[in-house]
Amino acid sequence: MAQILVVDDSSTVRDEVSAFLRNAGLNVATAVDGKDGLSKLQADPGIKLVVCDVNMPNMDGLTMVEKIRGELNNKAVNLIMLTTESSPNMKERGKAAGVKGWIVKPFNGPAVLDAFRKLAS
Amino acid sequence: MNANPVSKILVLDNDAEHLAGIKSFCEQNNLVPMKVRRGAEMSVLRTNIDLGGILYSEDYGATAEQTATIAAEIHAARPELPIILRRNEQATLADLPEASRRNFCAAYVASDMSELRKVLGEYIFCLLYPNALLRGIAEITESALQSQCRPLSVSMDTPYIVRDRVIFGELFSLIPLESPWCRGYMMLQTEESPFIRLLARQRSAAADIGFRNVNDLLSEITNLIWGGFKNRYVGDDGARAPKQVQVPLIVNHEHKYISFGTENPQLCFRFVLADPADGSTVAVYARFIFNLSWAPEEFREIQQDVAGLVDSGALELF
Repeated sequence: MAQILVVDDSSTVRDEVSAFLRNAGLNVATAVDGKDGLSKLQADPGIKLVVCDVNMPNMDGLTMVEKIRGELNNKAVNLIMLTTESSPNMKERGKAAGVKGWIVKPFNGPAVLDAFRKLAS
Repeated sequence: MNANPVSKILVLDNDAEHLAGIKSFCEQNNLVPMKVRRGAEMSVLRTNIDLGGILYSEDYGATAEQTATIAAEIHAARPELPIILRRNEQATLADLPEASRRNFCAAYVASDMSELRKVLGEYIFCLLYPNALLRGIAEITESALQSQCRPLSVSMDTPYIVRDRVIFGELFSLIPLESPWCRGYMMLQTEESPFIRLLARQRSAAADIGFRNVNDLLSEITNLIWGGFKNRYVGDDGARAPKQVQVPLIVNHEHKYISFGTENPQLCFRFVLADPADGSTVAVYARFIFNLSWAPEEFREIQQDVAGLVDSGALELF
């Protein structure tokens, strides 16, 4: 069972983030877009934290987190966006969907590891 | 960084006296002249990318026929490059035979370079780029390359204007640029093999670095640059419904050629990634093509609330 689900269409980002978190002793699963993220989350009840990109094919990240809270009615999982976007409107939309935090890429593992540990425990 | 973009031009002119004048004119007008040995024109055209135009003398060939033939060959090979003809008597193309006239976009005489300046403004420096945009693109791109290609060093040339449509390297990415003041594409171009070698050294633990790794990396760098561009210059205005106007893009692999369906020149930035361990390098070209709309008078940098700014990479908790 994974603790953290990393959802990003870029394999470069998936590899970078998941390798960093695994090296830090965390269990990580990955998904390639919002649709894949929803199905991986449904299949693994151990996931406590979803780290998700915004701009992805098939289903974008904000739609995915809205579905997690809405259709899946999953209020427990922690949601963090990891994206190049920093538009206030997008952040507001994320906040309204229950997103807990926002990271503007590039990923800086050491800066967020403690927070990730807490949110994934 | 030099705030004004430059442009590389081929100088096909054998008049020693006039060449000194051209050199000084180029220095004053943001041009980088490239002198070509007689007979090497076509090979230079084949091997040089990122040209803005050609200065051509009516005495370039040994005979008038040869001069016309060389001009016709160049025009046929690169019709997108403006060829500006230096005449001895009058700055006109009107007296040339029709077949010869169509190879040139304009004429000038050495005694009045103001005509040449005007032509450059019309064909090469016809789009105005705000300094804040040039500076910002350079910073955003450099930062994206640095974040994804550590520990390679990144350096950049002065941005320049190009009119040719030649693709550099084997690999390029495209992403649409959509804003209220510009619409077009950003294209990143690079060479596959040197990039793979650099990546393999960068990620020494991973033995099998292949082209897909480079594809993914270039894609993420593209994403980071577009994200930075959007955050700095577009903001929430970008949420406006996109305009539907589009034009087909043409890519011809045989000729390493890409057209965005416009005669507009392109804004180009050349970055060099270098491995400090052995000095090996790879070039990355970022080209900005505003083929669908360009309204620099509406350009603005997004004013952010400094107190509310969060560093990239840091977690902003809600």
